[in-house]
Amino acid sequence: MSKKVTVASFDFTSCEGCQIELTNMGEHVFMGLLNHIEFVEFREAMSEKADAYDIALVEGSYSREIDRERLLEIRRKAKIVIAMGACATCGGINALKNHQNDWAENVYGDKASMPHLASAKALPISAVIKVDYELPGCPMNKEELVKVVNDLVHGKAPLIPDHPVCVECKARETVCRFELGDHCMGMVSRAGCGAPCPAHGIPCEGCRGFVSHPNYAALEKVLVEKAGFSRERAANKAQMFTSNYLEKLR
Amino acid sequence: MKSHFISDSDFSKFVESLIRSVRVVAPVAKKTKFSFETLESVSDLRLDYDVTILPPKKAIMPVKQELVRFNGNSIESAISAQDQVLLGVHFYDVKAIDMLDELFSQGHKDYNWLAYRQHTTIIASNVQKVSNRAFFASVGQGVQAKGHDGFLTKVSGGYVFDAISPKAEALVKQGTFKDASPAQVTEAKVANEKVLKECPETLKHSTEAVQKKVREAFKKEELWKQFSDQCFSCGSCNIVCPTCYCFDVQDEWNLDGTSGKRCRTWDGCMLGEFAQVSLGGGHTENFREERHTRFRHRMMRKATYLNDKLNGPACVGCGRCSSSCVPDIADPVKIINKIMEA
Ligand code: SF4
Ligand code: SF4
Ligand code: SF4
Ligand code: SF4
Ligand code: SF4
Repeated sequence: MSKKVTVASFDFTSCEGCQIELTNMGEHVFMGLLNHIEFVEFREAMSEKADAYDIALVEGSYSREIDRERLLEIRRKAKIVIAMGACATCGGINALKNHQNDWAENVYGDKASMPHLASAKALPISAVIKVDYELPGCPMNKEELVKVVNDLVHGKAPLIPDHPVCVECKARETVCRFELGDHCMGMVSRAGCGAPCPAHGIPCEGCRGFVSHPNYAALEKVLVEKAGFSRERAANKAQMFTSNYLEKLR
Repeated sequence: MKSHFISDSDFSKFVESLIRSVRVVAPVAKKTKFSFETLESVSDLRLDYDVTILPPKKAIMPVKQELVRFNGNSIESAISAQDQVLLGVHFYDVKAIDMLDELFSQGHKDYNWLAYRQHTTIIASNVQKVSNRAFFASVGQGVQAKGHDGFLTKVSGGYVFDAISPKAEALVKQGTFKDASPAQVTEAKVANEKVLKECPETLKHSTEAVQKKVREAFKKEELWKQFSDQCFSCGSCNIVCPTCYCFDVQDEWNLDGTSGKRCRTWDGCMLGEFAQVSLGGGHTENFREERHTRFRHRMMRKATYLNDKLNGPACVGCGRCSSSCVPDIADPVKIINKIMEA
């Protein structure tokens, strides 16, 4: 292998949990990857700024107009842009505020008018720039990141699953939440996480976003008919991580 | 074939000693359901199960299986089959494994399946409790369960064990078996006939009539759209099916960029990506892009396409697809009966 692949990492509106996942990778894997890549910009760990990089890892949603220029600059400098985590790929938890107007008062009380809270809708970064690969999940799946970067470094097209979580849930023989009288969104949510939530006794909330063709009407119907939700609750259910998808569907 | 009898307490001792000598895969409880797992203690064994979440084929072809390992230009097979006993398989799942034996040995042989299958001794057991969506009594009535080595039937005080193959006769020597009395043989026969009358669902027409009419319904697009209106394309009906045998093959590269492994993972024709193929140059095409065409394809596979190869339908009536489908639209009985009545 000749030159190392250069990688830069950036954060926008987020909890930085995805970058923490990066550092949680385990020394063995991380060091293995470092034989092939070199970080040229990483706010968490270094102060240098680079003029160009092969891969930009972008965490966080786009929620302020002033971030537009920074994103465009990243796009100009990067050969490949990877959106990392739910915030960057679909707006994430941040998008919860998109359909509410009293969030600042509720969350920050008398500090609600702090200037940095002024923001617009939380959107995926693909709302501003072209994104080459999206690594969904809250937080993103670190094994998936390694796999995608490794595939890119070695010239293989990365594969992000586009089928529902149910596939992985059934594969590990978890008793379905619906069989236990609960609800779940695994039927419309993108697999790749290994379906840990139903396996640990909680519904899938769709943190990896929807598959490309979710049957949303059917989701509302089963939430009402099988899980006993009210129509209103069923209609609102998919707003935790997927409200930006819903807007497109409706 | 010879019928033996073993008492309940001797059976427990027999299974305990078996576990110590070989990997035994058998049904155990999983919350409100059951699954086939490597048996660690006879106290976990649940021969009174109704149906398992995944079929026992997973002991022969696991959900994810390593096929080969590679390093540079050297490639080695990852097959490492060890002897195992698959205990407590219901007759409908025996039929399904037999179908896969057939399909995987026709044409281009599947050496992975065949290797693990050869190392597997199948001890079937009678259905003690019928699951709430089963229709095994009315589907493929002409197809007999075969390919298993022995068959256990619960009778009063113990089990009647029919030793079918030499492998089963060898197992008999490891336990305290007696000859079954004529009364015990009759009791077993009655028990096995009784469950056939207890299926909650029934296919109303013969295999041949179903094959013909379902095949003819291919062009009824509207009907398939109605059937699949609530379908999530979640693939649960494929993943849980004992006769589904499709898989996806992917290479996993190590970080060194020269070594890695090639694995296969169970796949399903209901999934949107299943029929997406490369046209080269980064372009793809999906030849079953619409949901209803995938839904139709599964039913065609189960009720018509494979019938000639298998001498019957590629469905054994386990009802797993029906109970695992969240919107409850996957039930072959409901679909087929509706087509037949149309
Ligand atoms: S996706 Fe989740 S973990 Fe990642 S930055 Fe957003 S909120 Fe944090
Ligand atoms: S628990 Fe959720 S993810 Fe699992 S099979 Fe049921 S609906 Fe699908
Ligand atoms: S099961 Fe659902 S909520 Fe849980 S990690 Fe997977 S996609 Fe996210
Ligand atoms: S199609 Fe359904 S009922 Fe038939 S064998 Fe498959 S899972 Fe069982
Ligand atoms: S028929 Fe049911 S189980 Fe099968 S893919 Fe559609 S929703 Fe999933």
